[in-house]
Amino acid sequence: MIALCHWEPNGVFLKPLIALAEKGAPYTSHWFDPTAFEQFAPGFPANTESALQLEREGPLLVVGGEVLSSTSFQLEYLNEVVTGPDLFPASAHDRYRVRAWVQYLGLGLGPVVSALGCARFLRPVLAARESAALRAQLAAIEPLERRNAWLAVLDGAVDEAAWQQRLAVPVARLEKALTGADWLAGPAYSLADIDAYALVAPLRTLAPAVVNAVTTPHLAGWLARIDERPAVRAALALSRSGQPEAAWVPGTEPSRWG
Amino acid sequence: MLKLYHWEPNANSGKPMLALAEKGVAYESHYLDLLSFDQHQPEYLAVNPDGTIPALVHGDLVLTESTPIMEYVDEAFDGPPLKPTDPVERWRMRWWMRFFDAYFAPSMSMIGWAVFVGPVARQRDPEVLRAAIDRIPLESRKIAWRKALFNEFTPEELAESRRRVLFCTDVLEAHLAKHTWIAGKTFSLGDINGFNLGYALPLSQPDHCNDARTPHIMEWLRRIYERPATKATWALGRTPMVQRVAFLERGNTHLSAAAVQQSVLPGNSQGWKKP
Repeated sequence: MIALCHWEPNGVFLKPLIALAEKGAPYTSHWFDPTAFEQFAPGFPANTESALQLEREGPLLVVGGEVLSSTSFQLEYLNEVVTGPDLFPASAHDRYRVRAWVQYLGLGLGPVVSALGCARFLRPVLAARESAALRAQLAAIEPLERRNAWLAVLDGAVDEAAWQQRLAVPVARLEKALTGADWLAGPAYSLADIDAYALVAPLRTLAPAVVNAVTTPHLAGWLARIDERPAVRAALALSRSGQPEAAWVPGTEPSRWG
Repeated sequence: MLKLYHWEPNANSGKPMLALAEKGVAYESHYLDLLSFDQHQPEYLAVNPDGTIPALVHGDLVLTESTPIMEYVDEAFDGPPLKPTDPVERWRMRWWMRFFDAYFAPSMSMIGWAVFVGPVARQRDPEVLRAAIDRIPLESRKIAWRKALFNEFTPEELAESRRRVLFCTDVLEAHLAKHTWIAGKTFSLGDINGFNLGYALPLSQPDHCNDARTPHIMEWLRRIYERPATKATWALGRTPMVQRVAFLERGNTHLSAAAVQQSVLPGNSQGWKKP
C-alpha cells in the first residue's frame, strides 16, 4: 500500500493527490503541517533525497521503506506502478514534451509561485509567531538552503513586482501552447497538465493581472477544464482549512544565474 | 536522418551524445562552437529559436532539453535500455538527474566560467562580445552570458558555488558508497548525466575529489570512462577541455592533478579555436 505524507491540497502538495484520485488508487493518507515543522520531527519519513529535494517542502510517497520526494517524479512513479487510467502519452515525443514541460515549469514558474504564495500567506503567519522559540526551530533546519528558504520568508525583502514580472515569459509560453491545443503534451490530458495545473491555478489568486480570462483566455479555459475534473474536485475537497489556496511553504529556489 | 546539434562532449551537449552512443544510434553531428556563439547565429536559431544547445532533430521533431532528450533517445530507439526496470530505481535516476541539473551543475558551471571559460572568451574584442550577447534570444540566457563573459559574479556568489560543489561531492560520495550506480544496481541515464557533469571533478577539485577522499566517486567515474561508448564520445571532442577525461585512465594517478590541468587549461587560447 502506498502512503502519502501531505498537507493541504495546494501547490506541489496538490500534484500526487490529483494523480491518485485520477487513478482511483487506494493509499494511506498521512497529514502533516509543515508550518508546524512536523516534517522535521523524529520518526518522520526522511532520506538524503527528501532532505535535499529542490522543492524544499513537499509531499512524500512512502513505499516499501523507500521515501520518494520531488513531485514531478512522484507522478511518473505513480503512473508506472498504480493501475488505473494511463496519464502518460503513448508516443515518445509526447512523453518528451511532458518531461520538458514539468522541468521548465518546475524550475521557472515554481520558484515564483511559491515566493508569491509565501509572501502573501505564510509571512504573516510566521510574523505573528515571531519568538525565540520560532527562531530556534528555524535555526535547526538542515540543510542550509532549506533553512534559508524559511528565513527568507520571515526576513527577506519582498519585491512582488519583480516576481510578477518573472511570470511573463512562462505564462506567455503556456498561453501560446494552449492556443489551438486542449492539453499541454499530446492529444489527451496527462501528467503535464496535472503538474502545470498545480503551479498555474494559484496564479488566479496570486497574480490575477497575469492569468485571467481576458489576457490569457486559452490558459484560463484550460484551467477551467481541469477545475471540473472529478479527481481535481476530490483532491481539493480534502482540505481541512477550507482555504487550500492560502497554504504555502517555501519552494524551489530561483536560478542563481539570474 | 537523426541530427544532433551539439558542442563538446561535456555538460548538456555530452548528455545526448553519450546516450546515443550507448544506444548504438548513429546520428549526423552538427558541431557548434559555443565560444564563437554559433548557437546564436540565424542558421541555428532556425532550428532552435531559443538558441540553446543541444538540439536533437528527428524527422520533423525538434527537441531541446538535454535531460528529457536522453529519455526520448532511450524510448524512441532500439538498443540497450538505459533506464532501470525497477520503478523505484527509475524514480531515483530522475531525482538525481534533477539534482545534478538544477543544483550541482549551475554551481560547477559558475566556477568554470569565472576561472576558465570567461578569461579565454574575454581575449576577444569587447564590442564583439556585446554584439554577441545582444543576439541571444532568451533574456535569462542574456543575463547568464553577460555575467559569464564580463565576470560579473560577486565574491559571495562564487563562494556559495564553491561551497555547493564541495557539499555535492560529499553527498555524491555517500550515495555511491551505498549504490553501484546513480539509480542503484543498474547503469542508467543518471550515470550518463553525472559523468558529463563530474568527469573533471578530480582535476577541478583535486584536494576534495581524489582516491583517498572520494574513492567511490573515482571508481564510478573510471567505470564509466572505460565504457566503449564513453571512449568513442569523448574522442569527438575538439578542445583540450575534454582531454581532461584521460586523467581517469587507470594508472594515470601518478600524474598530479595540477600537472594535467596545466597541460590542458588556460594560457593556451589556441585550444579554444576550431581545428
